[in-house]
Amino acid sequence: MATIAVPLGGGQSRQEIEAVRRPALSEYLRWSVDHKIIGVQYGVTSLLFFIIGGALAMGIRLELWTPELDFMVSGAAYNSLFTMHGTIMIFLFIIPMWAAYGNFVVPLQLGAKDMAFPWLNAFAFWLIPPAGVVMLLGYFVSPAEAGWTSYPPLSTLFSGDGQTLWALGAHLLGLSSILGSINFIVTILNMRPPEMTIWRMPLLCWAVLATSIIAVMATPFLAGALTLLLLDRMTGTTFFDASGGGDVLLWQNIFWFYSHPAVYIMVLPGMGVLSEVLSIHSRKPVFGYRMVGLSSMAIAIVGFTVWAHHMFTSLQPELRIPFMITTMIIAVPTGIKMFSWLGTIWGGKIRFTSAMLFALGFMSMFVIGGITGVMLAALPFDIHVHDTYFVVSHFHFVLFGGSVFAIYAALYHWFPKITGRMMDETLGRIHFVFTYLGFLITFFPMHIVGMLGMPRRVAVYDPAFTDFNRLISLAAFVLGFSTFIVLYNIARSYFHGPIAGANPWRALTLEWATTSPPPPTNFHDDPIPYEDPYGYGTKAATAYIEAIDMAFDRREAAPSGAD
Amino acid sequence: MTTYIERVEKQKISDQRAAAIRLKNNRLGMNIFQVSWIMAFVALIVVNWQLRFNYSQWPPAGVPPFDLLLPSVATLALLFSSILVAQALKVLRSGFGAAFLVKWRLAIGLGALFMAIIVYEFLNVSAAAMATQYGNTFRLMTGFHFVHALAILAIMCRVYQGANLGKYSGDEHDSWAVEGAAKLWYFVTFAWMLFYVVLYWIR
Repeated sequence: MATIAVPLGGGQSRQEIEAVRRPALSEYLRWSVDHKIIGVQYGVTSLLFFIIGGALAMGIRLELWTPELDFMVSGAAYNSLFTMHGTIMIFLFIIPMWAAYGNFVVPLQLGAKDMAFPWLNAFAFWLIPPAGVVMLLGYFVSPAEAGWTSYPPLSTLFSGDGQTLWALGAHLLGLSSILGSINFIVTILNMRPPEMTIWRMPLLCWAVLATSIIAVMATPFLAGALTLLLLDRMTGTTFFDASGGGDVLLWQNIFWFYSHPAVYIMVLPGMGVLSEVLSIHSRKPVFGYRMVGLSSMAIAIVGFTVWAHHMFTSLQPELRIPFMITTMIIAVPTGIKMFSWLGTIWGGKIRFTSAMLFALGFMSMFVIGGITGVMLAALPFDIHVHDTYFVVSHFHFVLFGGSVFAIYAALYHWFPKITGRMMDETLGRIHFVFTYLGFLITFFPMHIVGMLGMPRRVAVYDPAFTDFNRLISLAAFVLGFSTFIVLYNIARSYFHGPIAGANPWRALTLEWATTSPPPPTNFHDDPIPYEDPYGYGTKAATAYIEAIDMAFDRREAAPSGAD
Repeated sequence: MTTYIERVEKQKISDQRAAAIRLKNNRLGMNIFQVSWIMAFVALIVVNWQLRFNYSQWPPAGVPPFDLLLPSVATLALLFSSILVAQALKVLRSGFGAAFLVKWRLAIGLGALFMAIIVYEFLNVSAAAMATQYGNTFRLMTGFHFVHALAILAIMCRVYQGANLGKYSGDEHDSWAVEGAAKLWYFVTFAWMLFYVVLYWIR
């Protein structure tokens, strides 16, 4: 063995390193307790649902090409279309997709051999395919028509049996999410190497920890709400029926007590990814590491106090102002993160890789989504644009411009680790341009039509909005097309991409201190993390990265100087 | 080169370490599950609470309040059952013995008594109460709790079966099943205490 300046978890012989291969395809199709396999299973499943949800979105935009009802047979059919779009994207794409990255990356970053409860991990994943199938089947019987929020009485009196299946599917997904999150919390708190204190933990782990805390505390409320919905639909109780002493606002309270924190479940891991990607690809330490970690926790906690801002128009008026204030407070920890990201890249040696481009895309889009969020928190404005396309625009800016951009950034960043091959950077840049422009031109004009008064969730609109809607639809088709670029890139790079090596980005976190893809036990010996996960730019950091290179790739020390 | 003896010793140490980590993980995981899933019960309390405001009084006018005697007996039975479980766990830790089996069996019996009374109460809600949310939320909450109590009582029975076959020694590393079942039973008890107060005492 060559001399290793910094002790690492290597220690394998050359033959052992070369013997590490990608798992066979059949490994992914059956029950496995390896967190890396489960991570990929989550990822591919979510990607399939992303394609289905995206196709439904194209259907929505096709219908809105003209002000009349033409593509869909009825308003009800349109209702079920956007219901399935929202449900699939939220419950079956974004949330499981973060479980995918969390599963693959978090144990590696912690230097652990697997998650704390491998069997539970596999079980949590295998709840998702049946849940997805149940939900999709609902679309073909008599579909749910109440939107992804399923407000009664729409979901009790008007929707078909698909709504019942919808609730059953959501129940299973909630269970999966709780079990997965328990696993994440225990893994992150218990499985760190002794050298890694909680203040030396990579920021993705901080974000996943905060996310998991939200998921375990909030998701049981979803279970409660869905139980009531199922009982009302199937056994004739009247929890949501005012004629039987029930209350439709009950659903809104319980549902949003879960679903508002759930929007942080969808975006916090993305923020963690951003801290990783921005720091690594601009070769600078994260600015204000502790504050970033703590702001994740602050978002998690404050996120529980804001749910009623979704009910400004239905709430008792005296409760509106307190919820307006708590909602605006959320902007503070979010602002801390934005400030930290700017501070991180400021003066850095920025490499405009595809991952970096998507991370910068996230920053620009999320700041717009965040600002419209504060606008919507302001009561008078919210009542004006309530249920218009302004709201649609806002949450797509945070969920697509935020979460999906971060998912893409994470894909380009960790694909080499997952498959051992680099993704094609040129295709990545083309993908970025199409996604960025397609996204911006799709969703930015929605602010304007929203303020002009175009209501959401209707297939027929005032002909005065036709030009705007044609522009939006055209851009949406471009955005839809851009997905195929990344799918092609994934397929091509999986087979023909250049070999990545252990640490293609010259990063310091532990997932890069093993072969790509990692062997089944992740590390040969217990790895020793570098003292600061983002301490780029020092001689010691360069020595650590070179030690990784020597241990796994036998490359000569790069002459590039300090990293 | 390491000798065979050294390798065996090293393996023993790493096995012990793995067992210690597993126990630590199990305990933390159980605690998180308890804190997490109690929120589902809290959600139903919120349901009960919000629906009360649709009526000028609670129980609604013309509906007789639930009888307190039997449910209180059931609650006491459940409490005692939980205390017995705690004692049984203590006995187990100080060396497995017949006392463990006696206490555990008694705990299961008291748990079954609790559930029998709750089933009786569930089936005997007056028609007047069922016409309002007073009866509806009662059945919702007791039913939801019953499902959990039933599943966890089944786990307790499994553990009894295992203990009868001498599967668990006093060592905490190989009796996690007992400890886990006990903690789930505390959870059932705690959840019921919340429901008991909300359903019967807060008017």
